[in-house]
Amino acid sequence: MDLNKSDETSKFSPLGKMLSWFTKTKNANNIFLGLALLCFLLFLADFTYHKHGHFHIEEIPGFYGAYGFFMFTALILVAKALRLLIKRPENYYGDKAIDGEDYPADQLEQGSK
Amino acid sequence: MISILPTAFIFIAAALVLGLLPRGHVRGVILLITPILAAWQIWNLPVGIFVQVEFVGQTLDMMRVDKLSRIFGLIFCLAAFLGNLYAWHVRDFIQQIAALLYAGAAIGAVFAGDLITLFFYWEGTALASVFLIWARRTEGSYHTGMRYLIIQITSGVILLAGTALLYRETGSITFELMTLGSLGTWLIFLSFGMKCAFPLLHNWLQDSYPAATITGTVILSAFTTKLAVYALARGFAGTELLIYIGAAMTLFPIFFAEIENDLRRVLAYSLNNQLGFMVVGIGVGTEMAINGTASHAFAHILYKALLFMSVGAVMLRTGTSKASELGGLCRTMPRTAIFCLIGAASISAFPLFSGFVTKSLIMDETANQHYPIIWAILVFASAGVLSHSGIKIPYFTFFGHDSGLRPKEAPIHMQIAMGFTAFLCIFIGVYPEPLYALLPYEVIYRPYTMSHVVGQLQLLCFALLAFVVLMRTGIHPPEIRAVNLDVDWIYRRLIPTLYNIIYAGVAKVLQLLETLVNTMTQLLVKELYKLHGPETGVSRMRGVGAMVIWVAILLGIALTLSYF
Repeated sequence: MDLNKSDETSKFSPLGKMLSWFTKTKNANNIFLGLALLCFLLFLADFTYHKHGHFHIEEIPGFYGAYGFFMFTALILVAKALRLLIKRPENYYGDKAIDGEDYPADQLEQGSK
Repeated sequence: MISILPTAFIFIAAALVLGLLPRGHVRGVILLITPILAAWQIWNLPVGIFVQVEFVGQTLDMMRVDKLSRIFGLIFCLAAFLGNLYAWHVRDFIQQIAALLYAGAAIGAVFAGDLITLFFYWEGTALASVFLIWARRTEGSYHTGMRYLIIQITSGVILLAGTALLYRETGSITFELMTLGSLGTWLIFLSFGMKCAFPLLHNWLQDSYPAATITGTVILSAFTTKLAVYALARGFAGTELLIYIGAAMTLFPIFFAEIENDLRRVLAYSLNNQLGFMVVGIGVGTEMAINGTASHAFAHILYKALLFMSVGAVMLRTGTSKASELGGLCRTMPRTAIFCLIGAASISAFPLFSGFVTKSLIMDETANQHYPIIWAILVFASAGVLSHSGIKIPYFTFFGHDSGLRPKEAPIHMQIAMGFTAFLCIFIGVYPEPLYALLPYEVIYRPYTMSHVVGQLQLLCFALLAFVVLMRTGIHPPEIRAVNLDVDWIYRRLIPTLYNIIYAGVAKVLQLLETLVNTMTQLLVKELYKLHGPETGVSRMRGVGAMVIWVAILLGIALTLSYF
């Protein structure tokens, strides 16, 4: 496997160059701000139409946004706590599991750009 | 003509023919044509029961075609086609045969009109599919395959037991709507539940799917569990218990998926969560809910296959599917990255992608039938889907930190398979009417309303925002090389450990007993020796003369006595 960590973008296809834009540290703030703006606009959009949900709670503006944000955060925190309980070394189940073994190389078609 | 051959037999015939053909592209073509032929047959068959066979005094219905079995039959054909296209490069005969027979058995089970036929195909899927795991040909995959096979076969045996009890009770083996009550129906329910990965019965899924070959996992992901969904929809629609089981299924896997390192296992947890939505739909059981389950199964098979394909392509090029070892691959695998993002958007149910137009049928009907808590769980679980399948899979593979790996783009046939699947995911999302037309009942539903679209986008975008915030603050758990315990720990660790302890204990007791017996025997022998040994009175040598005197005395006494 080629481990040359080169960001020599000329080697990447046009599509690869486009996508690698998202991975650049300098763009991280823009992505964050763009997403925050989008969220704000979606929140505002709630005032533009008559909401008709099955439950009253759905009619609160931004209900889905708030629910999504807080439940997602809660999910991550609970999962993080869960990890403390159930995490084990990769070879925990020994040779009776695939976790500690390599995928057979003869079934791979490795190659680097 | 087309109605005299059960669809499953097309696959079996193809599997028989395959061995006679030369290796290479010819076999590949057969693998592609077979599902097309089968789909053509299913498409053209009218609704009805065909191919009835007498078997030990029972009439077996090999082909029951109605709208429910038809949509599952069609999506299974489509999945077999896409999976085989993805596996075009595979020259492993065993995997090719297994893929054909597995798809054939699953389709046969879908069209089974009675429980005996269902049982045969049910076990058929188990037997055929395990070879997709064993074909990895490693120690680990051998043991994993064994565990998988034991559980799958057990499910079939329970199905047979339930069928026998039900037959004794009702005198019928027809596979139709059942009501939970007797032991027979409970056993059948349990058997379906094992294959459907109900909570606590689920772990064979996360254990075995990551252990299969790269292409094998793609094929595995389509059939077994969706066959179980079909069987539940057929046999237990409207069983309220399923609503709670389904809700639990949507919920618990999202936590495990979040901290799992092996991305194919993340997808297996995610599959489990998606099955939960379908099971809730079956539990609600109204026409719209069953439509939701059938359409969600259809869409799910496609986007789940697409996600497994994209991770598989990465694995083919890098040798690993572990999030901790990957990252930044969008630079050199951009097309695979885009296909993966389309799969991610579909499973997360972004508007214009397939998950949106199918999952909402189930969620809206759950709300319509006034299950507010279940509804709230499903909305939460939808955010959870976004977290592991929508974000984690593409982000930690193709974006995120740069692993430094610069693998080649996926092989062209894989790109075609992924591209076609991705196209279907978007097509269904943009234009759901053809899929709705295939559903068991008439669909009166508009997925694209303002409140629905904005609500869903809010949920997803704010959850995405939460992810970005958690990443930037370093709270999001990092990907690390580790395994996580789940229910399978009970039979992989606890029971073997207990067995060893008990075994050692019993061995010790036996050893003690043996020692005891030995000691006793030695004592006994010693005592006997003391009494009867050569130096003792009993066995002392006496002269012959003495004996003769004693005999003469005895005879004298006898003679004297005889005179009286």
